[in-house]
Amino acid sequence: MTDVISPARRLRRGRPEWLRGPALVGAIAITVWLLVALTVPLWSPYDPLAEVAPRLQGPSWHHLMGTDQLGRDVFTRMLWGSRTSLPVAFVVILSSVVIGTIVGAIAGYRGGWIDAVLMRFVDITMAFPPILLAMAITASLGPGVRNALIAMVLVWWPIYARLLRAQVIAVKQREYVESAEAIGVKRFAILRRYVLPMAYTPVLVNATMDFGQVVLLTASLSFIGLGARPPSPEWGAMITEGATQFYSWWIATAPGLAILVVVLAFNYVGDALRDSFDVKGVL
Amino acid sequence: MRLNTRNGITRQVMAAGLAGVLLLGACSSSGSSGSSGGSTDKALLIARSMDINSLDPSRSYCDTCQIFMTSVYETLIGLDKDNTTLVPRLASKWESNPAQTEFTFTLDPKAKFADGSAVTSADVKFSWERLHGLQASSSYLVSTIKSIDTPDAQTVKVTLSQANSAFLAQVNASYLGIMNSKVAIANGATIDPATDKAEPWFLANSAGSGQFTLASYQSGAELRLKRNDSYWGKKANFPEVVMKQTADAVTQRQQLEAGSVDIAMQISNDAAKGMNGKDVVVSQVPSYNFVYLAISPGAKGGEKLTPKVREAIRLGLDYKGLIDATVGGAGQAQASPIPNGFAGTAGLAAPAQDLAKAKSLLAEEGVTSLTLDATFPSLNVYGVDFTTAMQKVQTDLKAIGITLELNPVEISVWADKIGKDGIPVTMLYFAPDHTDSSQYVQYFGLLEASQWQTWARTDVSQSETDTLSKAFAEQDATKRAEIYNQLAKAMISDSVIIPVVNPNLFLAARSDIKGLYYSACCNLNISDLSRG
Repeated sequence: MTDVISPARRLRRGRPEWLRGPALVGAIAITVWLLVALTVPLWSPYDPLAEVAPRLQGPSWHHLMGTDQLGRDVFTRMLWGSRTSLPVAFVVILSSVVIGTIVGAIAGYRGGWIDAVLMRFVDITMAFPPILLAMAITASLGPGVRNALIAMVLVWWPIYARLLRAQVIAVKQREYVESAEAIGVKRFAILRRYVLPMAYTPVLVNATMDFGQVVLLTASLSFIGLGARPPSPEWGAMITEGATQFYSWWIATAPGLAILVVVLAFNYVGDALRDSFDVKGVL
Repeated sequence: MRLNTRNGITRQVMAAGLAGVLLLGACSSSGSSGSSGGSTDKALLIARSMDINSLDPSRSYCDTCQIFMTSVYETLIGLDKDNTTLVPRLASKWESNPAQTEFTFTLDPKAKFADGSAVTSADVKFSWERLHGLQASSSYLVSTIKSIDTPDAQTVKVTLSQANSAFLAQVNASYLGIMNSKVAIANGATIDPATDKAEPWFLANSAGSGQFTLASYQSGAELRLKRNDSYWGKKANFPEVVMKQTADAVTQRQQLEAGSVDIAMQISNDAAKGMNGKDVVVSQVPSYNFVYLAISPGAKGGEKLTPKVREAIRLGLDYKGLIDATVGGAGQAQASPIPNGFAGTAGLAAPAQDLAKAKSLLAEEGVTSLTLDATFPSLNVYGVDFTTAMQKVQTDLKAIGITLELNPVEISVWADKIGKDGIPVTMLYFAPDHTDSSQYVQYFGLLEASQWQTWARTDVSQSETDTLSKAFAEQDATKRAEIYNQLAKAMISDSVIIPVVNPNLFLAARSDIKGLYYSACCNLNISDLSRG
């Protein structure tokens, strides 16, 4: 007997269980924004830095989100803004996860004074509100996207270090890890083969959820003048310019919407991943 | 006694300013009182983006400082509402020798400081000698003073190092306000920057004879003045004046419309649209304020800024586009660092973009591409957002192969950088200190140790120095205007200071505030304001 499966059913079968409802919407939004960030130079409606129309024009067919105080197309600048915010968020999360993993794994697995020293350093870093610490670091390094990125990595890695340490401590007490130690498997191999794979899920879920927060922090730093330099079409910087032209509402609305969509999208996906992997108690 | 300053400010600009005064007066007399109106015992609340560098009368130098100084420290001579006529203030009369090298002031015997002590010639001598000695930004105003004699308590005899027919106008500058020397000295004031320790004291106290005294100052928050109840003349109409730090024009508009403040001082053209109503009155008048681009060939990284490259930058700018982008067209182009309407500006051609000539000049210098640091203070002044203006400048200069690396910073960071290394391309603003054109030559010209000769690290122009001396010596107003015209052309040729916009001023107030006008010496003269 031939099993006839409709294309729709086949698609549903191939889709992970968690990718439904809001998570699906979020995943689509993320995909769209990633595609925009990768391809916008190929099909951009206008040059994001060029004066293409009279200043402060409201939304129209020619300029979907109007023009700003210099006559630049706001929609185009919003699209190009994704080429700053998304790569910055990706690098911040990746770097933070790598550093946090190394520190958290060493602290959790070795324990003792190494754990104490590393975790006190983590405690000190986490004692400061992230936005204030990021502002202080960026201000001391000097404004700019690169320095904002460095500041955000310095603020974010302790979160992953602490999370992974807790997971490693829990996993290393399991019998199969003790067995591996008993038969003389090297510590690094145990950590890599037996501990980290079992401890890593909450980190990945947290990283997904943090992605949106980093986008928001990047925009916040630019908003207060510590991130992207003018005339870069960065979302936070665009909102700053819009704030000085408050009665031309479209200037700040466009990048604000972009931030809203990206942050919501990553939160939806992150929530679904958390529920799916059942790490609510950990996060 | 009234004397004309003979400074040559054109009648058209004056008439427009006066029209603004009358318009506001008319509107205010017919308007209903707003939520903040009614009682004359209510404090006057002003929304303003404050740029205070110091409240020490010998060190302060900023637009907000002008208002503060005028209210707290009186000058010997005042300026009438017509922005032309000099009127008695602490001095009841004055005279000069024919050569304009000696000036004698007679102090009003009734004049006294807020603590009740009399204003004497010794106070004048100490105030001006301290201003000269501390070598602060406003010290150029007394640079021609050679000696000050005090034959008696009421007489001040000033001898100048050269003839200076602009001296009376300079005496009118708010920075030449008189402090109580005994109080100041008791709190660490000296005329030597190495020993003077009074600046912190002046942040919390004042020692003037004006209608107000300093009540408190919180940097970044508010400046609070209280009425000097023992004032020797007509007492102030308000028991208290509070300037609230309000950075942007939109917030200022919202506060004014909500009745949270009585006056908003930096409303932009875009923010002013649709603002007139029964509770709020807005008028637009020409001003002498301007925003300029400054090119520093001696700054670190500015080595390629030769005279031809600087001229190319001047010719590369789209002035009309800059006025549109920064103030929505509510302003004028300005040819030279001497603003439109001041003596010497008649007949100067408005600046215009000439890309072909700009490129040709760069080619002559062998410059095909040039990248320059453009650190500038992140400010919004006279309705001009510097970040917007600099982006427009960046776009314009890109067309001739010059790339500006924009770096908006806090004003303190900017001041530190320009003092240390200089900045190849930057932006700043200027409001007149008094009514004579000499101030612009003394501040922007390439004279020995002038402010911009120092910051731009350029060679000194002996020609400009000599020409300014001629202007000071010339007593005929027409001839002096011709000399200032030569100086204006010389400064255009220097291309160190390139004015980008001379914005109109928006006077915005609650409808019950009377007497608001633009003062050419003092920005806002609070003593003329009342509520009714």
